[in-house]
Amino acid sequence: MKRSWNITFGRRRLQAIGLGIAVAVAATSLAACGGGTSSGDGSGTVSFFSWDNQQTMQPLLDEFQKENPTIKVDFSWAPPVSQYISTLQTRLRSNTAADVFIITAENKVQIMNGKLAKDLSKEPFIQNIAQSAKDTYTKDGAIYGAATSSWGGGILYNKDLLAKVGFTQAPRTWDEFLSLCHKLKDAGITPFLEAADGIPVTVAALVGLQNQQLGGTMDAQIWAGKESFSNTWTQPLTMWEQLFSQGIETRSAAGLTGDQVTQEFEKGTVAMTATGSWALGSISKAAPNLNLGFMAVPGQSGTYWAGAVAPGYAINAKTEHPAAAEKFVTFLQSKTAVEMAQKASGAITTTADYTPTIDPALSDMVSAVRAGEFYLPQSSWLTNSDALDTEATALLQQLAQGKASPQQVASGLDTKLKSLNG
Amino acid sequence: MALMTSLPTKPTPHVQGRSRVGRISLDRLRERGAISLFLLPITAVLVLLFLIPLAQSVYYSFTDYDGYSANADFIGLRNYKSAFTDSSMVGSLTFTTVYAIGTTLVITVLAIPLAVILNRRFAGRGFVKSVFFFPAVPSVALLGLVWVFILNPLGSGVVNSVLHAIAGSGPVPWLSQDRLAQLSVLGVGVWAGTGWHATIYLAYLQSIPAEYYEAATIDGASPMQMFRSITLPLLTPAMTVSTLLLLTAGLKVFDLPFTLTKGGPGFATHTITQSIIENGIAQGRVGQASALAVLFLIVVGLVVLAQLFIARRLEGRYS
Repeated sequence: MKRSWNITFGRRRLQAIGLGIAVAVAATSLAACGGGTSSGDGSGTVSFFSWDNQQTMQPLLDEFQKENPTIKVDFSWAPPVSQYISTLQTRLRSNTAADVFIITAENKVQIMNGKLAKDLSKEPFIQNIAQSAKDTYTKDGAIYGAATSSWGGGILYNKDLLAKVGFTQAPRTWDEFLSLCHKLKDAGITPFLEAADGIPVTVAALVGLQNQQLGGTMDAQIWAGKESFSNTWTQPLTMWEQLFSQGIETRSAAGLTGDQVTQEFEKGTVAMTATGSWALGSISKAAPNLNLGFMAVPGQSGTYWAGAVAPGYAINAKTEHPAAAEKFVTFLQSKTAVEMAQKASGAITTTADYTPTIDPALSDMVSAVRAGEFYLPQSSWLTNSDALDTEATALLQQLAQGKASPQQVASGLDTKLKSLNG
Repeated sequence: MALMTSLPTKPTPHVQGRSRVGRISLDRLRERGAISLFLLPITAVLVLLFLIPLAQSVYYSFTDYDGYSANADFIGLRNYKSAFTDSSMVGSLTFTTVYAIGTTLVITVLAIPLAVILNRRFAGRGFVKSVFFFPAVPSVALLGLVWVFILNPLGSGVVNSVLHAIAGSGPVPWLSQDRLAQLSVLGVGVWAGTGWHATIYLAYLQSIPAEYYEAATIDGASPMQMFRSITLPLLTPAMTVSTLLLLTAGLKVFDLPFTLTKGGPGFATHTITQSIIENGIAQGRVGQASALAVLFLIVVGLVVLAQLFIARRLEGRYS
């Protein structure tokens, strides 16, 4: 009798456990994310998704809460770049994206084409942002993102090492630059090192000069079929390749990461590297004794900076809390917020009502960056920038290795663009 | 005794049989119901996380879906055609195949003797086992980042510094030259996987009865003869498991080459999984990535079936 009860109880328990697990799984599967609430006056909750982490954003969030006590910010973040892009992509597709998110060079085409962000062109704060920032996130007259800063890229140099070969002023032409490199090499100093784990800053700036000569319409012409990478990129690539063929830079650059190059520069064993303004803070911190300067990349017809507009703040086109989202983005564009962000990051802000105090090493760069005089292929390309970036990086590594010629790299980009446009 | 003197009343056989059959079938029904309920969660997981995404991938592979827009236009086989003409795909396919086959062969060749050695009694055996198993503990991505530092192609790299100190040689471009970068990724993959797979072989080795070796010793067999005629044949089930795991892991490898070389230089260490992820996520070409994923699934399925077929035949021959 007892045994029979045990068996019956065992089966029932078994069924109950099974049912319980099934219900739990079903409940978990059906669970949906809850959204924030807000009223028409903008009070309530506004969600914000960024690729800056909580520690970076918290002072700004606290200030916003102080100024807007009736609005709570539900903050989330994912690290740049691919993790942020994929998370945002999934959330936009499933209509669970935050009310405010950042639009970047990597996803702007899809967001603007799909009109997934609100048009900000009528917002009062748009008058305060730089023209280059407007242009970056504009499509068919609509502005989909509001960026408050830009970054510039050029040649970061160790003044003390350059002084050993009689350096007095930055080279104005590519030949002068090569001559300086040879002097350094002859003096037993590694003249120049730059990683090729992306499109190098040097290449971006040299191509930027070509773009400048074509009135800033180079990429528009390439996409329209009036120009080609072969016509416009071969000369800058030929110049860049001289760094390797003349033994100025090691061909091992093809397999170096930006961090490895930065570490070498911080040790004081490399005279010059090419990097962005964003790297200056960490280098100065890691190597406080280095006497640093930044110069534009010299080409055949002058000098130029690489660079791009920073990610912009965008409002989800399907936000259920438009008033709160607008208040939040308006705050992020305010002088207070821009100043707070700039002091924390050292970024080159470009808003009209605030002039940043920048590291003296960046003094030559700031005016050009604030005027939008810079170029970055990935930001300037009209479509498929990430696919072209991957292809260009691989081809440039082959060029650095000596396995491809400048002509082959340029025509490889033409082939890739053609295949992408199908 | 009481049982002997008073027999229990015998129920009608027909009625008893029907009642028993009914009870048994009811019990079986309940049992099957319970089993079904237990299977429900894993079925739900399989459907939600595998079958539905697979069906979606097949559908998207015939469209120009970009992962953002709700619109996805049917474009026929264009994604499949471009998968075969994509410049990175040839490199990816080559390196992935080399990596999968290379790591499977080298790890198997190293793991079996290692397991045989670790199966013997010697001082510090536990520590040695831990040392060899250790690379399997941290994530492969983390190992990749550490090896970037070790294999730095500049003179300041760890390996290059050691080589310079010992032999006075100049820096070796470990991760900057195609062939060396491929060998470096393969080498780190082998280093990371050998100890773990030796553990699989060790578990099987410990189940081989000692009497087989005793009998072989009495018959005058040499250690090599015992290894070839006893150990190796009895390890074939372990080889099936180990090589299957190695092949599937090798074919879908992403984290190690990505952290070590990001697929470079050029496309020398680019993998198929990297192409799928880059196309689908970073480049917003979900249709293209889905076509690659479908093709990849078919290739992996065929390779795994071939591997299982060969392994089963080997097992049959030796068992």
